[in-house]
Amino acid sequence: MAGITTHVLDADRGRPAPGVRIDFSVMEGGAWRLVKSVVTNGDGRTDKPILPGDEAKAGQYQLEFHIDAYLKAKPGVTDADIFVDNPVVRFSIFDAKQHYHVPMLCTPGNCTTYRGS
Amino acid sequence: MNRRESDRPALTRRSLVGAGIGAMAAAPVALAQGNPPSSGPTQPGALTSAPVTQAGLGPRLTMHAIDNYHGTPGAGMTCDLSIREGDAYRPIKTVVTAANGRTAEPLLLEDALKVGHYELLMHFEDYFAKTGAPLPSPNFLSLVPVRFVIRDASQRYHLPVLFTPWGYSYYRGS
Repeated sequence: MAGITTHVLDADRGRPAPGVRIDFSVMEGGAWRLVKSVVTNGDGRTDKPILPGDEAKAGQYQLEFHIDAYLKAKPGVTDADIFVDNPVVRFSIFDAKQHYHVPMLCTPGNCTTYRGS
Repeated sequence: MNRRESDRPALTRRSLVGAGIGAMAAAPVALAQGNPPSSGPTQPGALTSAPVTQAGLGPRLTMHAIDNYHGTPGAGMTCDLSIREGDAYRPIKTVVTAANGRTAEPLLLEDALKVGHYELLMHFEDYFAKTGAPLPSPNFLSLVPVRFVIRDASQRYHLPVLFTPWGYSYYRGS
């Protein structure tokens, strides 16, 4: 499978993070163009790939994770705890035949992303 | 590379604070200076520098780039600091990390530290190209935006960034 997928995890609780909005953009002509906004499901994933394999092209892509609203809705989390609010991940598809899984692990004070599988 | 006994930090911020010395204005001065900025090493930073305390204990933003691919400080990394104004980020300064992966001076110190949304744009691809790491072209990660919030300008904020060509993690450190 090619294309782009993601998985948002609440590393504070060791659970998926449902209901997180993700803005997906592509670099076109030197500017980011918003392609779509999606929301994570109960498993912290999106129901469909963010970018289906048959639409994948080499280029620069961006995922903005709106973690802030998710964190604020958690019991016991205050604004003062949130150091990483809406992390943005920019990455390249350098080979459109490959799959790019880009997870986001978040807590109020930390985030981690990587090329997963 | 084995760390020699002589490389080990004799004094750290914690040991100073624990001994009650950290509050003395004069004591941290000797430790305040990181290694001088490097003009762009061809090798990653060597593990020869001790942790440092930077410029006393007042409000500030400091960073530390840590190369988890080579297991070394992230030396010679170009980073562009900016603050969000409206929908755009206004550049504040561009820095290059020293041999210890930190900047010679805090990114923001005292009154320069303001409440706001910040971005540290880190030049991963240039960094790894200089170290000779095997990378695809373009690299998976090139210019990496590290975004964070400063909510209280009276606090100290430390921003460690742990990175490889394929991922990174950052957090509010201390």
